[in-house]
Formats: sequence, structure tokens, C-alpha cells
Amino acid sequence: MACSQTASGFRCFTALRSRRGLTSVARAAAGPTAAYVHLPFCKRKCFYCDFPVEAVGLNTEKPRTQDRMQAYVDLVCAELKATRSLTDAPLTTVSFGGGTPSLVPPQLLESILSALQQQFGIAAGAEVSIEADPGTFDLQRLLQYKALGVTRVSMGVQSFQEDLLKACGRSHSLADVYAAIEAVTATGLPSWSLDLISGLPGLSLQGWQHSLQQAVAAGPDHISVYDLQVEEGTPFARWFSVEGSPLPKEPEAVAMFEAASATLTAAGYEHYEISNYAKPGHRSKHNQVYWQCQPYYAFGLGAASYTRGRRFSRPRGMQEYEAWVKRFVQGGAGCPAAELPVESKEEQLLDVIMLSLRLSDGLALQQLQQQYGQETVAALLPTIQGFLQQGLMQVLPCDAQDVQQAEDAIVPGLSGSSGTVEVDADAAYMQLCDRLQRGKDVSVRLTDPAGFLLSNDVISELFAQLDSRTLSKAL
Amino acid sequence: MDSIDIERERGITIKLNTARMKYTAQDGQLYALNLIDTPGHVDFTYEVSRSLSSCEGALLVVDASQGVEAQTLANVWLALENDLEIVPVLNKIDLPGAEPERVIREIEEIIGLDCSNIIRASAKMGLGIEETLEAVVQRIPPPKNTVKDPLRALIFDSYYDAYRGVVCQFRVVDGQVAKGDTVVMMNTGKEYTLDEIGVLAPVKTPVDTLYAGEVGYLAAQIKSVLDARVGDTVTLKKNPAADALEGYEDVQPMVYCGLFPTDADDYQDLREALGKLQLNDAALKFEPEVNNAMGFGFRCGFLGLLHMEIVQERLEREYNLDLVTTAPTVVYKTLTNTGEELTVNSPGDLPEATKRQNISEPYVRLEMVTPTEYVGNLMELANNRRGEFVEMKYLTDSRTTLVFNIPLAEVVTDYFDQLKSRSKGYASMEYKITGYRVNELVLLEIKINGEPAEPLSVICHRDHAYRTGKALCAKLKELIPRQMFRVPIQACIGAKVIASEAIAPYRKDVLAKCYGGDISRKKKLLQKQADGKKRMKQLGKVEVPQAAFMAVLKINQDSDS
Repeated sequence: MACSQTASGFRCFTALRSRRGLTSVARAAAGPTAAYVHLPFCKRKCFYCDFPVEAVGLNTEKPRTQDRMQAYVDLVCAELKATRSLTDAPLTTVSFGGGTPSLVPPQLLESILSALQQQFGIAAGAEVSIEADPGTFDLQRLLQYKALGVTRVSMGVQSFQEDLLKACGRSHSLADVYAAIEAVTATGLPSWSLDLISGLPGLSLQGWQHSLQQAVAAGPDHISVYDLQVEEGTPFARWFSVEGSPLPKEPEAVAMFEAASATLTAAGYEHYEISNYAKPGHRSKHNQVYWQCQPYYAFGLGAASYTRGRRFSRPRGMQEYEAWVKRFVQGGAGCPAAELPVESKEEQLLDVIMLSLRLSDGLALQQLQQQYGQETVAALLPTIQGFLQQGLMQVLPCDAQDVQQAEDAIVPGLSGSSGTVEVDADAAYMQLCDRLQRGKDVSVRLTDPAGFLLSNDVISELFAQLDSRTLSKAL
Repeated sequence: MDSIDIERERGITIKLNTARMKYTAQDGQLYALNLIDTPGHVDFTYEVSRSLSSCEGALLVVDASQGVEAQTLANVWLALENDLEIVPVLNKIDLPGAEPERVIREIEEIIGLDCSNIIRASAKMGLGIEETLEAVVQRIPPPKNTVKDPLRALIFDSYYDAYRGVVCQFRVVDGQVAKGDTVVMMNTGKEYTLDEIGVLAPVKTPVDTLYAGEVGYLAAQIKSVLDARVGDTVTLKKNPAADALEGYEDVQPMVYCGLFPTDADDYQDLREALGKLQLNDAALKFEPEVNNAMGFGFRCGFLGLLHMEIVQERLEREYNLDLVTTAPTVVYKTLTNTGEELTVNSPGDLPEATKRQNISEPYVRLEMVTPTEYVGNLMELANNRRGEFVEMKYLTDSRTTLVFNIPLAEVVTDYFDQLKSRSKGYASMEYKITGYRVNELVLLEIKINGEPAEPLSVICHRDHAYRTGKALCAKLKELIPRQMFRVPIQACIGAKVIASEAIAPYRKDVLAKCYGGDISRKKKLLQKQADGKKRMKQLGKVEVPQAAFMAVLKINQDSDS
């Protein structure tokens, strides 16, 4: 196995402590077992992109580019080696994001993986994921990645329409997409994912359905469906700020979100996060670390880490990042941003609410009550009741032994349009309060698609209930 | 001398300000000149009248490019009533549009002042300064020498200072006062020992003694505004004066609106801030008000719309308060079936239609002074606003005064803005309350999502109700953000719906971008959204932004233009 090749000679960990049972605070307090590495190089910057990216041109083989990549990877390895391991447990997930990490030659990737192995250890069976764009790799390169221990490829297809690929400044063609799918399938990785973007300028519902069908036909284990966000400072922001932009209008954008949910769910994918769908057993382990408020290391330009209770984003400019690494290495503290205050309990609470409600697993209210006090949950409940009535939220049964009981009870359906939703919602709300009182687990989640579609509104409404007085009483 | 930020930004004076300067005149003598800068806008006439009664003379500064304005007239009449020596000054003569000869003719013809020795000045270019100061020395009589008499000093302004307590500005009318003296406020009977007295030159400069004729300030650790009111007379404990000076008339607010803190926690802070502003703004009135949509706040009375805006802005800036303001309304009167006359400061206070005989509203005599070519525009404006034409006077061959009787409600909103925009800025206006008149007035109620939105209700004329209701619904539709459900907006008179609109629900508000481990940006966006929600006021289940409460103002603008 690929993993054992790189793991030989290094520390080897087999017994993994079960972390599932731990509360999110306990998990945050435990050391991180996830690492993110940012590889910022791209052939060119897409018109919608606001990530820290360095465009190197279409010919990535030229010596200057190769030298820059080498120098950057050396810098990242320096940061990595100066970072103290905070736990005995080895990494269970590693994620290479970008940029276009697949532009980085395999031997450079290997040096990062070796450094990670040496510094933190990589568990057997760890998820090692890499973002890869069509037109930047072939079967041979994927096999090399696989040999290095990569277990998952996340492929940035974005669209199955040639004109849209051009319109958003992608550096690859539709032919590249199909070649890439063939290569990734032939590699036989444990898991692979395909990214699509909805809401692109000029995208029609019909065109979107075509992309969804092609995505399903490609047979990935996981599909991410992102919604175009026009960010300040991007070419899109400059072009589409005026009236009459070619961006899909609200009714179409809603229809696109609904179409993705319906098509992908029907094809056997679970809609487990607002923009993510997975076949059973193929959820992204690394991303779930983020979403469950667990700690993670991060290395590289602009990368955001969450260690020892501190959220810290590295500088987004290359020179600033370089200078920062130099100081970090010299400082010898081994822990970035030690001078930052630990994330407050209020902040943690908001993180938990925001991230949990974007998941199909929802927000565990009993746990919330235990960690953030009864007043906190009490402040949220009336608002939650309102969302249940509007069909934007539903109550989830939690323990296995309760499932049957819950199925007997009434849980509002996914569609918010049913005339009985209000009656059902009231029953569900009473059930929820009852379980909270009896100290039993109970969660609420957003409905799919109605609740997910209005998630900002729902989450910010819940935030708005948590004024400083409630929080100071509760925490 | 304008020191408040808003004054500097808007280029207007809203508070009187004093300064003392030393000037060695051409006769070789050193003179101390006490100056008071006063506001010009009609809303602040009371500030002017207070200032004028503390003076011997007045500089009448007329803009050489604008000419005589309605407020010029009003202020000159005030000065003449106070028997002041008036020194006319023509300012801004350096401007390319300056027409000194025309303006001089206007001053002579309209006001009847002798302009043979008018001073031509440009404060910007430093022209005419010397001449102005000489004129003050030569033409304005010195104060009467009553230094031997018992002390009488008139408080004409005061403000609160965190370290010194209430600081009063006063003019010594008779006698003298020194640091360390024990003084008595003649109306409240309170006694204080003076910690500090001084002059504003223009910054606070302590002195030992102030004599009759001088203007200065005093600080004596006075805790409450109520103990040292503007208009009170200060005298000495050991040698008190027999009679207090004539104080100031209590000014009556003309316009009321509700001020509510965005955050209910700020209620006490708002009360204190209003108290402090009231200290040197006698025209500001306030009393607690509660309603279902806005929670706890205050019903506040103002002299006019500019006054209201300025108080609101000062509260927000100087006291760091976030406020929601409801639409302004004038003070109505209503006669109940039992024959009782009620004063109505808020549409919500109006008794039900079946329990009242009538509603009456305040009327004003409105004078607009305008270049003749805009007469048509201004006639139309006044007619649209229920004005009744009284007369038209030709002041000069190019300047006309239009006089109307018009409901105050029509004038206090945006009338001044409209007047300016319809006359390219050249017309000016002045008004005086003349009394109340019974009219066909109705209570126009707004319902949002079926719930009455009390703060949005207005009292208006029956003939205008339909138009107003329709415009208000349309404006609210524009201002209230879409909700997750359909929101009907209705305008009703009693049970009858006279206009309606509906806001379609929105359906998508989601961040589905790839953020990776950087959750902070996403969180910031949502926190910002949550803050926005806290700022909005809940009416029924619909969140209404602050702007909507001022929508009534905007509809007039829209329907006029």
C-alpha cells in the first residue's frame, strides 16, 4: 500500500482514540489531528476568485516557475517543522488546497508529506486529499500522488459547458474535464470528489441540469456544489456591479439550488452540508473537522489554523508570509499566534451554531445547553419554534433507541408547503422541549432545500437573539 | 465660532456662541468687545432673541450675492424690538456673483436702514474687518455703568461639563461678580460659591472679576440643569438685588417625534443625554413614551425639522446612541364627545373616531421672500400644501413677498427644502403660529402584515388621505426588506382599507461558497446581518428598518416633484 511506503521508518500509530463521543469544547481542547496545506499556484486566476493565489502562466514547466514552487514548498516545510505537535495522536486528515495543488510536482508534495509525517505522524488510513484541476494532471501524475499516500482527489470542474468555463476564466477546456475524469477513475483512489459552481453568469436552469447530469454520470463519490459569490476586488465584481448583469436572477438561482438537491439526492448522494453531497461513507473527513469545530493545523500562504483555541489566518501576501515564517521560526515558540487571546466562549457558541446548522446533522441542543447554559438555549427556542412553523427547520431524533419513537411521533416533512406543517411543527416543538427537559439528546436542522436556502437569515436571526446580557448570564 | 461638528459640516450656526476680544481702536483706547454669534434658520429664532436681549448692538451681516432673505427680516425686527443699534455689513463682496448695489438698495427699501455708511466686507479675504471693528466702537453704545448697583447677571446659555458641573454663560447687567463670591439664583433660590469665572476669548480664560456690561461664564459645581436655568438672574448673597431681570419666555415645541434607542439597554443613557442637551436647548422637550413596536423611548418636542435633525444627530454623535426616529407630527387638538379639549402630540393619542367631535391643527402665517421669477413655482408649492393665499407684496422690482395661511403640518416637514429647490436656492421663508383651525382631518393607519404599525400612523387631511396612503404603502414596500413570507401593507381609515401593497417573500439567502478552514469571514458576514436585525424594529413579525419610520417625510417630496 502506498501509505506504508512513506510511513516506513516513521512513527506508526494504529490505535485511534474515538473522538466522536467528545463534546466540541473537549474536542477543541484535545490536540489537532487535521492539517491543511495551502499551495497557491495557479496557471491564472479565475475571474471570481478571491483566495490567496499566485498565477504562474500556462507553461508551468519553465524553470522560473519550478524554482518558485521549490522555494515556496521549502518555506512551508520550514513553517511546518517549526510547529510543535500538540498531541500524541497522529494526523487523521491532511488536505492540500489552493490555488491548484495539482500544479505542484509530486516530489515537492512528497517533501511536505514527509515533513508532516516526521513532525506529527500520519495515521494509517488517514484521509489525504488534494485539489486538482482538469488540464493540470494525467493518469501518471495521479498514480504518483497515490503512491505518496494521497487517498482523495477533489476535482474543480465547475461546469460542463465550454462557454461558461471561458466566461469565468478557467484555464481548462471541456475536453480537459472529460480526460481528467477518465484519469481519476483509472487511478482507483478510495474516494474522489467533483466541484461544480452554480450561479455563473449566463447559466440557465437547463444548462445547470446538464452539468448536474454529467457530474452524476462521471460517478464521483462526493460532489461539492458551490454558489457563485461575487467578491469585492475580483473582475466579476467590477463587471457585474451594474444593473442588468448576466448573473441568474433569484427565481433561477433558487431553482438551481433545488435542482442540485433533487438530482443528487435521487442519484444516491446525501446532502450532508449546504454545499456538499456524498455517497454513504464518503463525506469529507477533513472538512468535517472544520464544521464540527475541531482543531486543525494549517500551513502556507493565507492559511487559517485553529489550534489551542486560537483561530489564526496567515498573511495573504507572499512577502508578508515569508517574513512571518522567518519570525515564527526564529521565535521558537512552536505555536502560531500565541499572543492572540483564546477564542471566547461567545465566539465558540456562534461558531457552533453557524457550522452545525449548515450540516444535515444539525445543531445538538442538549449539548449546547450543557456547554453554553440553559439561558442560551432558552433565548434561542422561541425563534427556533418560529422556524419550525415556517418549515425552515425540523427536529431530528438523536439516539438510535429513540428513532422508532420519533418516527411514531410527528416530525414535519421536508417540504415547507404542506398545510399541516404548523400543526406538525407545534408537536415537534413540544417534543423538542420535552426531550430537553428530560436531558435527552435532541437536534434541530435546516430543511432541505427551503431551510438551507435561507440559512443566512436563520443563522443570523439566531445570532441576533444572543445579546450580551443573555450571554453574560449564561456563560 | 461654530464649534459643534454638525455646524462645521453644514456650514450653519445652531447654537449661539460667545467670544470676547480686545481691540485697540484708532482713538488709541483699548476696548473689550463681547460678541455673540447667533443662528439664522427659522427653527432657531428663540436663540437669536435670547442673544439679542444681552446686547447693545447688532451687526447685520447680509450676503452680497444672496440679498435680503426672510430670516434677515425676522432677525432685524427682533433686533429693533430690543432697541439695538444695527450696523449693516455686506459680506462676501469678493464673490463673482456679488451684487452690492442691488443688495444695498434692498436693505434700504425693504428694511429701511440707512446704508450710506454700510461696510463692504469679505471675511474670507480679510476685507472690511478694521472698518467693522471701528464701527462697533464708534456706533454701538457702551453698556450702562451700573457697577455700583447690586449684582444682576442674566444666564442666557448653559451646558454640562463633566468636571465643572453646569457651566453658565451670562451677562452682567448690573454690579460686579468675583471668583469665590457666594451667589443666589433668584428664581430657584439655590446658592453656590463660584469656583471659577472667566471669559471666552474664544477659549475659556479665567478672570477674577467681571463688571457690568461684560459677558462671561461661571462654574460652581452645579449638579442639575434645573438649578441654573437659562433666563434666571444671578445675584450676590450678601447684597442681593431687589428684582430679578425679565427672563425668557418658555418656548413651545411645534413638532413632536418619538426617539427610541435601538438597544433597549440604552434607555437610561438616552434619558441622560436628552437631559444634558436640554440644558442649553430650552426648546427641547421630552417625556417617556412606550409602544408595542419600539419599546421604551421618549416623545420629544422640537421647534422644527432642522432642530429635530440636529438633536438626533448630536445624540448619535456626541452621546454615541443608536436611535430610531418616528415620523414627526405637529401638535393637534381634538374635542371629545364629552366636550373636553385634548392636546395630541402623537397620532396614537387620538381618541377613536366615534369618541371625538373634531380635530384641529395649528396654522401659520407663512412669508416667502423670493426673486420674482420663482413666484409661480412657490404659489404652486403652497397651494399643493393646503395654503391659502393672503397677499403678494413687491419689495423691490425684482423681489416679492408671498404670504399664505397654511397648516403648520405642511410646513414643518420638507417645505424648506422644497422652497429652496424650486427657487434654485434664492427664496427664503419665515413663519409665525397664528392659531388652531378645525379641519377635515383623519387618522391614517398603516398595517403591516395585518398588525397596526402605530409609529407609522399619520394624521392628514381627508382629501390627501388616499394619495398619502398610496404613496406611503409604496414607499414602505421599497424600504422594508423582503421577509421569508409575503407581507401585506395596508393604509386604513378606521376599518376601511384605502390602499395596499405587498412585499413578495424572498427565497434565497445562503453562503454556499468554498471557505475551507477560514470560517471567520463567513461568521463576520452573518454577524453583520445579525446586527442589522438588531437595529430593525419588530412590527408584528416583520422587521422594519429605521428609514421606514421617516417614510412619511419622503412621500411629500415624491408627490411634489
